Amino acid sequence: MTGDTGVVRVPIEAGYFTIPEDPAETPRLLGSRCPACGEHFFPRRLVCARCLAEGCEDVLLGPRGRLWTWTYVHVPLFAKKDRSVDAYGVGQVDLPEGPRVQAILVGGPDDFRIGMELELDLEVLRTDDAGAEVVIFRFGPVGDPVEEPA
Amino acid sequence: MRIEGAAIAGSGVVRFGLYPERSTAELARDAGLAALHDAGMTLADVDEAFVGYLQPATLVGVKAMKELGLTGLPVTHVENASATGLVALREAAWAVASGRARVAMAIAFDKMTDMAGGGRRGGSQRGTGRDQLDATILPAAYFALWAQRRMHDRGTTPSHFAAIAAKNWNHGAGCPWSHRQTDHVVTAEEVLASRVVAEPLTAMMACPADDGAACVIVATEDLVRARQPGRRLVRPVASALRSETYSPGHTFLGPVVGPATMTRDTALAAYDDAGFGPGDIDLALCHDAFANEELEYYELLGFCPEGDGERLVEEGETALGGSIPFNTDGGLIARGHPGGPTGLAMVHEVVQQLRGEAGERQVEGARRALAHLVGGGSVCTVNLFEASQ
Repeated sequence: MTGDTGVVRVPIEAGYFTIPEDPAETPRLLGSRCPACGEHFFPRRLVCARCLAEGCEDVLLGPRGRLWTWTYVHVPLFAKKDRSVDAYGVGQVDLPEGPRVQAILVGGPDDFRIGMELELDLEVLRTDDAGAEVVIFRFGPVGDPVEEPA
Repeated sequence: MRIEGAAIAGSGVVRFGLYPERSTAELARDAGLAALHDAGMTLADVDEAFVGYLQPATLVGVKAMKELGLTGLPVTHVENASATGLVALREAAWAVASGRARVAMAIAFDKMTDMAGGGRRGGSQRGTGRDQLDATILPAAYFALWAQRRMHDRGTTPSHFAAIAAKNWNHGAGCPWSHRQTDHVVTAEEVLASRVVAEPLTAMMACPADDGAACVIVATEDLVRARQPGRRLVRPVASALRSETYSPGHTFLGPVVGPATMTRDTALAAYDDAGFGPGDIDLALCHDAFANEELEYYELLGFCPEGDGERLVEEGETALGGSIPFNTDGGLIARGHPGGPTGLAMVHEVVQQLRGEAGERQVEGARRALAHLVGGGSVCTVNLFEASQ
């Protein structure tokens, strides 16, 4: 997938979120819906965890949700494996469809409160050997431009 | 189902700490020999062994067992993340209670200091951590999410978590095999002033990374009575083990352990099996990898009503001398948490307490004890023990 800058963006792991062609477009989470009982799940699964029916259908989830809980971690991202980020927010976000999603948060230590609305976006973690940007999903305050924490 | 006819014959621990110069097999050997000596046995008496560890290599357990002898006994590997040791004990207890073995050994060892990078999460399972979507949520961050939500819901303060951590540091100072041995009384203020790891959790509210081994030998009650006349009998009477139960809003990707309610459901199952409840229990050991967990477990294990955990902390009820002492050996925070052996070190402490041989840590008149662990993935186990003359 290429954005308008021509840079290819690839997911840290395939199968969890969309990477829009247009980097300005909001990504979505790849989820499932049970055709029997209607329960939604993230990430995708075949067997419904609620009613055990087989054959959950693919759906897109989000991109907005409400913050259930959060913390600010004073440890490098991926523990000691990526020292370029030495502190970051982490939260659990309730999607309107039902699933509670755990993710990195965009912002500084004073930017979060329980119950606030957040929106999905993508963060570039690094550039791989082929020159592609490796991205991960994260949630940030709605309406704010995408900024790195100070 | 209640475990009938099984008793602890012996137990032993290699003090948790940093052993860069010693192999896991050597640590396992020393814990195994300590337990065999305590039981007055050799490996020739042991009919079956359950070996636990978290390190990613296979076959390590059956190889380590050879340090104790080669008698042809059946050896089974057990792995349930941080709950591994207690689950090995559960298997040994049931091997005896079922009549399959007269004597069964639960033995576990780990070297967290050898587990590069991935640490407790076992980095080898899915790539190298850096390529994992959920590797950004460290155990400290995960349990901090619990802590923040509790502060929001209940008005809990970081001082409550700090008081629990200080208690466990101070308990550890009275336990000879505790990793952390303080030379002064640790205060909540000192815990709060240590480095913030994940708000509101500080470094002193967290367990250390360490190495160690522990072993517990279970045998038929008749055999233990015959071999150890005059010693108080300690029996495992219930062992419940559960994995996650789905409820709406379940978080699948990332959590270190599943919903906190897993502990409540597991405890209820154990109490039902044992025929007694929290009001009959004299001391408890729980998964205090982070201090705020212990506060949650006061309620989830049924030692106080929901929302009353803070009062237990404020009134010192869970310290030695209180109405229900928790983590009398220092818990994961002080005694240590190498992984596999953690649960068997808990049982070692239960044995000392219920035999009445815990020295300055002794809970007066202790007759019943509880040992709880959660393990990533996730699982929860609650084990109940009873002493009789």
